[in-house]
Amino acid sequence: MSKTYFLLGALLILVSLGLVILPSSENEDKVPPEKLLTELMSQSRFLPPDMVAARLIDEDPSILLIDVRPVEEYSSYSLPGALNIPLADLLKNDWQPYLNQNSMDVVFFSNGDLQADQAWVLSTRLGFKNLYVMEGGLNLWFDQIMQPEKPPASAASEAFDLYSFRKGAAQYFGGGAPEQVSNKQSGENIPIIRREKKTVAAGGC
Amino acid sequence: MGPLIPLDIIPDTWNNVIAVAIGIAFGFIMEGSGFSSSRKIVGLFYGYDFTVLKVFFTAAVTSAIGLLYFGYFGWLDLSLIYIHPTYLTAAIVGGLVMGIGFVSGGYCPGTSLIGAGIGRIDGMVFTVGLMLGIFFFSETFTWLEGMYEGTGFFAGDFLGYITITEYFNISPNIFIVGFTIVAVAAFYFTNLIRKRVKPVNY
Repeated sequence: MSKTYFLLGALLILVSLGLVILPSSENEDKVPPEKLLTELMSQSRFLPPDMVAARLIDEDPSILLIDVRPVEEYSSYSLPGALNIPLADLLKNDWQPYLNQNSMDVVFFSNGDLQADQAWVLSTRLGFKNLYVMEGGLNLWFDQIMQPEKPPASAASEAFDLYSFRKGAAQYFGGGAPEQVSNKQSGENIPIIRREKKTVAAGGC
Repeated sequence: MGPLIPLDIIPDTWNNVIAVAIGIAFGFIMEGSGFSSSRKIVGLFYGYDFTVLKVFFTAAVTSAIGLLYFGYFGWLDLSLIYIHPTYLTAAIVGGLVMGIGFVSGGYCPGTSLIGAGIGRIDGMVFTVGLMLGIFFFSETFTWLEGMYEGTGFFAGDFLGYITITEYFNISPNIFIVGFTIVAVAAFYFTNLIRKRVKPVNY
């Protein structure tokens, strides 16, 4: 065997051994910054509380609510069926099966939407899919769903439909009394005029 | 960065132009390596010439190592590379047909065209046989369809777009190191065999 062949063979083995020695790649399974920025600029990740409420009322099995607030806040109040993953524990392995999957829509929420958005960015960076943020968090949830504001009388009928949906939702999620629906119809209050009986004069002259 | 065409860095319309350029280079180098001679190619089977093994093993090892390095440096997104789907029975039967044709005819489909291109009669005959084979396959396709598509009797044949390293759940890098060592060992031992065998003039 000539020297050249020996050298080339040794070189081939050395180069291939380099593959094993390489430190594990840093860009493995992660979203490049450019793509992350594009997704961050798009507002499509925000789900309005109405949509979340509608899916909860419909008992949609494909929605997974994740409360990223600390445990104490979660135990005092949270949305029905929500799972508590405090932001600080987001990267723990216990939660990976919930976050890294394809079958459910994961909706993050916190008091505002800042912490939830941070959880969204971290999870998106890790390459997880179907991630959403509840717009405005629990604050907006309370403003819109639990204590909806009655639209002015001049508002469009859609506003009234939304209002009645929110009232119903408030009742469903355990708060707010049902609205007293008055069945008054025009014409009902018309006073009845009673005619006095004519008294026939009796007797005569 | 890559792959260039799936990521539209090079437009799709250039596909065929690039294919022709690569095809000419491929044919030129194959001819230069002596692959237009059927006797040189079948030398691998009879044990007097191992050029085929050396050329193809070197090509496979070099490109595999190169792809892994490119993927590591982020020049190439390996998840976008096309992986040929695996249909088990079809692969075995097709491999047998190909192997028998290879050893009896002395060419593989690509090299027969190179042989025909430089005017070798056996290359031309082989090319005609190739066309006939395509014709018979097309005509009998309705019988072979189940095997081809992994349906009916052959259900469960389709293993998906898997690679050996995914199937056995080993790291591709370690697999390629092993593959390289096997390749270099094969070069060494075939060299020993070639020296012991009586030289054949062709």
